[in-house]
Amino acid sequence: MKPTLILVGADKGGVGKTTVSRALLDYFARKNILTRAFDTENPRGSLHRFYPANTEIIDLGNVAHQMRVLDTMETSNVPVTIVDLKAGNLSYSLDLFERIGVLEAARNGMFTMGLFHVVGPSIASLDEIGEIAKYLSGIQYVVARNSINETNFFEWDEATYRKYFSQIAKTQEISVPKLNEMAYEQVDVAGVTFKDFIDNRAADGSQGKFSFVLRGYVRKWCSEIDAEFAHVKMLQDVLTGGRQQ
Amino acid sequence: MATSPTVHIICSDQHRNGKTLLARLLVDFLMLDGRDPFCVDTDAPDGPLRTFFPGRTALADFAAITGQMKLFDTILAAPGRDYVVDLPARHTESFFHTARDLDFFAECKRTGFRVFVFYIVDNSFASLKAAYALQREKGIDLFIPVRNMLVRSHWPENEGALTIPFLAAPIASAISNRRFSLREFVNGDPQGLSPDMTPQLQSFLYEMLNGLNGLEPMRAPSPHRLQ
Repeated sequence: MKPTLILVGADKGGVGKTTVSRALLDYFARKNILTRAFDTENPRGSLHRFYPANTEIIDLGNVAHQMRVLDTMETSNVPVTIVDLKAGNLSYSLDLFERIGVLEAARNGMFTMGLFHVVGPSIASLDEIGEIAKYLSGIQYVVARNSINETNFFEWDEATYRKYFSQIAKTQEISVPKLNEMAYEQVDVAGVTFKDFIDNRAADGSQGKFSFVLRGYVRKWCSEIDAEFAHVKMLQDVLTGGRQQ
Repeated sequence: MATSPTVHIICSDQHRNGKTLLARLLVDFLMLDGRDPFCVDTDAPDGPLRTFFPGRTALADFAAITGQMKLFDTILAAPGRDYVVDLPARHTESFFHTARDLDFFAECKRTGFRVFVFYIVDNSFASLKAAYALQREKGIDLFIPVRNMLVRSHWPENEGALTIPFLAAPIASAISNRRFSLREFVNGDPQGLSPDMTPQLQSFLYEMLNGLNGLEPMRAPSPHRLQ
């Protein structure tokens, strides 16, 4: 099976990129698919806090770090690599990947490449789609509309919305459902994966003391995310390939 | 009644049909039987059940997530005792919806609880329909339809149900005083109830406690104290 590289990004901060990265890592973990992740929020690394075992903090502008991500995809024996792009770095990263031949390699079928573009409700988010359209040939492009922060996407004018999407062929869309605020905060405070929170397991592996109610809300949210991810071809291809291995 | 720790849920799709009276009777019945029930009154902010059992009742607003945590987490965090949950009509549907979402009844099983649902079937077809629908809910060990003779019920006569007998208004009023303990009354303390009302209340309680006792016939018959 070809390795899969998934970028998660947005040109705007606070739209839930890391939440989507976490949701993807959790999804694959629940499906018993090995993953590795790179957190480009250098030097802090918010994704790394939740997945310290399989997440590295990198600076994507550093050539040695680029090599750590790209040159090891075949040899790592991990089918899925997720790169959580720093806020505001989506266009920059795609441009960088175009210049160093990563996008070309993906177009030539050396690996599967996907982009989860996390968008907010503002017109600025739609502008981002226009800006990155030129890089998307040969990449599986998924627009993730994130409802986690109580945003209302119906504020988007449908005609404007279509105008932007018409620039990109084969766009897939998912909606990240809203997770109860208190449940979200508790997972955050605990610094554990959604899966561990549901299983009532603390960050050190011991039995957690998480609320049954909040665990239930997170479990329900994960099942809703699973339903959304079930529509994403790239993810389903990974699952199918994973089982065949 | 159940010998293993049980979560008793008192509910109905309609309000003002005797839910809190039934919850109160149930708590007293369990205590008369030597059990140590804890109550969750979800009728915040009033908390009518808490009025009668202030020391053993948590008040939870089920409309808020903190209230849901107070209810579900309280029960699951301290298994091994009985719980009585008094649900006002406005929370009944959302309670069962949330319980389903959270898989609460399955968690109750894992924690060693049984789940009994007492549903007061009101005098309307909609109430009967809601009762039948709830009867099919997964994870409920015993569904107990309840007829309250004061408000009448659509529950069919030929189908078994727990019956709350008619209680005259002056007696209902007298026992609605938060200082009036049904348990103490059963134990022989009339608590100032007039002699003409005493036999009526005794008869009411005898029938009620007998009915509750009949839900699990192996238990000692507490109502005999009233004979």
